[in-house]
Amino acid sequence: MLSLILIIVAAAFFTGVILRVKSIASGRKGPGIFQPLKDVARLFKKGVVYSETTSFIFQIAPTIYFSSVVMAMLVVPFGQSKGFVSFNGDFIFFAYVLGLGKFFSIISAMDTGSSFEGMGASREALYSMFAEPAFFILMGSIALLTGFTSFQEMFAAFHIGSYISYALAILGTFVLMMVAMVENSRMPIDDPKTHLELTMVHEVMILDNSGFDLGLILTAGYLKFAIYGALVVNMFIGMFPYQYSIPMFFVIQLVLATGVGLIESFMARFRMSHNAQFIFVLTSVSLLIFFGVLLILGKFA
Amino acid sequence: MEISFFILALILSFAIFFLPKRLQYGFGLFLHSIVIVATSILAVDALISGTSTDPPLLANILGNPVFLVIDELSAFFILVINFTMFTGALYAGGYLKLYLAKKNKTEMGLHFFSFLWFHISMLLVCMVRDGLAFLIVWEVMSLSSMLLVIFDHNNPKTLNAGINYLVQMHISVTFLAIGFIWVYSQTGSLSFDAFQDYFGANSNIWLFLIFFTGFGIKAGFVPLHTWLPHAHPAAPSHVSGVMSGVIVKLGIYGIFRIISFLKADFLLLGEIVISISVLTGVYGILNAAVHRDFKQMLAYCTIENIGIIGIGIGLGLMGIGNGSPVLYYLGFGGALLHVLNHSLFKSLLFYSAGSVYQQTHTRDMDHLGGLIRRMPKTAVLFLIGALAIGGLPPFNGFVSEFVLYSGLLEGLKSTDISQISLLVFTLAGLSIIGGISVLTFTKTFGTIFLGTERRPLHHKPVEVSAIMLVPQYLIVAVMLSVAFFPQFYLNTIGNVLSGMGNNFALYRVSEYSDYSKSIANINLYSLLFMAIIALSWFARSLVLRNKSNKIQPTWGCAYIAPNNRMQYTGKSFSKSLSKMFSFILIEEKKYKELKAGEIFPENRKHGSHYHDFIETRFINIITHRLVYASNYFKFIQNGRVQSYVWYGIVFMLTIFMLTIFNTLK
Repeated sequence: MLSLILIIVAAAFFTGVILRVKSIASGRKGPGIFQPLKDVARLFKKGVVYSETTSFIFQIAPTIYFSSVVMAMLVVPFGQSKGFVSFNGDFIFFAYVLGLGKFFSIISAMDTGSSFEGMGASREALYSMFAEPAFFILMGSIALLTGFTSFQEMFAAFHIGSYISYALAILGTFVLMMVAMVENSRMPIDDPKTHLELTMVHEVMILDNSGFDLGLILTAGYLKFAIYGALVVNMFIGMFPYQYSIPMFFVIQLVLATGVGLIESFMARFRMSHNAQFIFVLTSVSLLIFFGVLLILGKFA
Repeated sequence: MEISFFILALILSFAIFFLPKRLQYGFGLFLHSIVIVATSILAVDALISGTSTDPPLLANILGNPVFLVIDELSAFFILVINFTMFTGALYAGGYLKLYLAKKNKTEMGLHFFSFLWFHISMLLVCMVRDGLAFLIVWEVMSLSSMLLVIFDHNNPKTLNAGINYLVQMHISVTFLAIGFIWVYSQTGSLSFDAFQDYFGANSNIWLFLIFFTGFGIKAGFVPLHTWLPHAHPAAPSHVSGVMSGVIVKLGIYGIFRIISFLKADFLLLGEIVISISVLTGVYGILNAAVHRDFKQMLAYCTIENIGIIGIGIGLGLMGIGNGSPVLYYLGFGGALLHVLNHSLFKSLLFYSAGSVYQQTHTRDMDHLGGLIRRMPKTAVLFLIGALAIGGLPPFNGFVSEFVLYSGLLEGLKSTDISQISLLVFTLAGLSIIGGISVLTFTKTFGTIFLGTERRPLHHKPVEVSAIMLVPQYLIVAVMLSVAFFPQFYLNTIGNVLSGMGNNFALYRVSEYSDYSKSIANINLYSLLFMAIIALSWFARSLVLRNKSNKIQPTWGCAYIAPNNRMQYTGKSFSKSLSKMFSFILIEEKKYKELKAGEIFPENRKHGSHYHDFIETRFINIITHRLVYASNYFKFIQNGRVQSYVWYGIVFMLTIFMLTIFNTLK
């Protein structure tokens, strides 16, 4: 339950911090940290414009997408406290529920009959497909190391035994953050601030969404960032008592958000054709983690 | 008692040919129902009270009595076959209406007759326990399904697909026959019980691999899959539905049957099966992602699902090898549950795709679009099938994939590094399969049903008739029951597994209840998820109640003259994927380059389609060589009756001489 509250709080400032860092880095005054929340609140008050080619799919898709993120959020634990839902193999459920949300967001983009939105949909489907094995190898390795299969137990038992596991956690952070970037369509996979539809991935998929629906999609995006941030936090806090782990949670989330902001300020987006290679690198890093686990367990003997 | 009804239906089936055209379907459906009721009662009986001790005698073949034995494993497959055939037979009633005018009485009669015998022979395959009888019913099954595939025989492509299917099925039979003869030569018996003795006394690997090849051709394991992508699109949709739903599963049945006799080498066999299966899954779904012919796409997707089932079988074998009952139950249980699930959603997808084909007369998804407005029910049914086959919660596909994932994680507890590595790669493979299948089905659903129509169709599609929709609703109902009451199905499968083979008698369901609890709770989490969706939807409609909603054209990115042909097509949707995997996905483009001096270019066409890597790079080369080599023997079949008579005389003389010199015994 605790994780639920923490994630929602973190989601409130995560995207704002990214924007703030970006504006400072580029020498602008920039909006306040809570501007994204205000944007969403404004959207929630508005009516909706539908495209004339769309069907009911377009109307239900944002709701399902949002719900899938909420459901995924319920699975995420925080240190010693379990998530709202916790069972053996819950990380599989986590990945597949997010998959359902993605399925609907992709077909809702196809529903508009626009050539640009189809393009974005195709890219989103492709990139998230490549992020999947990295996530599963990472989780499989941790399961192998700890002998547990639910998020909470895996993370809780991660650092028992050997301190080398902190090195693995750092690699794991890299993998999880990059998966988060792919899932949230941020740099270096996708540039949310690009001005040209042809080069967009996620933004072009939601071109036709407006009002309440757009608000849901944006909120889901904020939550997703915080969810992956929370997973990263979990890789480090283990069974720390709350007075340390809760401040650590916010510090790590802040560091991650700042990092994302800095990357977006000082890096150009990859060429579309390079994205796939980049994501392959991700899988290789999670294979490194796997071999690290094998080393720790002494399986190479 | 039930058996006599079953045999009565066999005899009555010949009457189909003498009935007038309008009665044939009804009579066929009646016979199907008799067969279904009779065998389902027997199967349920076997599941509840175990294998009956005095099995009924069907016939004597060459002095071998053929008994119909139904144990738990057969019972499970019989129930799967019966349900799929029932929906298939119902759906055929609507689907074949258009053909009634075109085909004559004999053609229709032959179709219904083969459909019935197809059903019967599949049931018999599950029931006979004798090598010779097994080969005979297996052959009847192949022949009757071949007749079903070539229903639309005026199309040369269909005939080609039929011949291809026939040839490959006979290669499969050859392997099976070699296997049975091998056992016969060692033990002197053709009965299945002889396998016990054989496997007890000899090496298990080679005989298993021979049977795995034979059954694998039927099931469609890569690289033995090449008949599927030809036969499934060629067959009428109710036939492709049942073929994909159950006939490939009989290959799986055969593999399970052989496994139940195995005595040793489980680990090695498990590793072999799991490696082949991951390849099969990834290869199948990669090909499915790029094809534009939606029935071909579904055929490749069947190959992918066979891979998923195979992963379960491999896990189960490793479970026996490691002496881990939990892994045994999770692996084989996941495989059997996926057999059931796949038979449900694949037949649903084929039926709804068939409805699209019936209304539009094209199988190329890039010619379609926007059908969700004209055929909303079919669209929703297809969407449900697509979500389920992608293994997405809250549908049934997720339950079986979750069981398999649990099995993979359980397998990680093994101590052997090669096993662990294999399982982690399988984990990654299964997740890639899931990811690409999302891409495949968003593409297919999006292209066929969403957007606007890409080309004008001659005949405006309308929603199909109720008789075609009802079987699909039935399937959805069963799918939801698997998704929300998995305990029932898992318990049944647990029964099947604990009854399978004597050597596993010590593994009882209770050992796996730890896992089955967390698996059974999946439905609660799915319900929670549904509740969240409902709540968000409710909140949304509450907020939007008094807001003004406007309908406007799609944002065309400031281009003012967009047209329907500019929509993203299925081909372009999967283009980046196919480029990335261009070493497996072979694209053939057909176009004319612009020449240097061509100032006013003429009209041009650009065509592109994908070839199967294994078929074009390996199988076709082998068959071309074979054809080339057999050209040298053309002189034997020269068309002159005199020569043929001469062959006969030489043959008889040889036999005669051999008898005289007493060399034939």
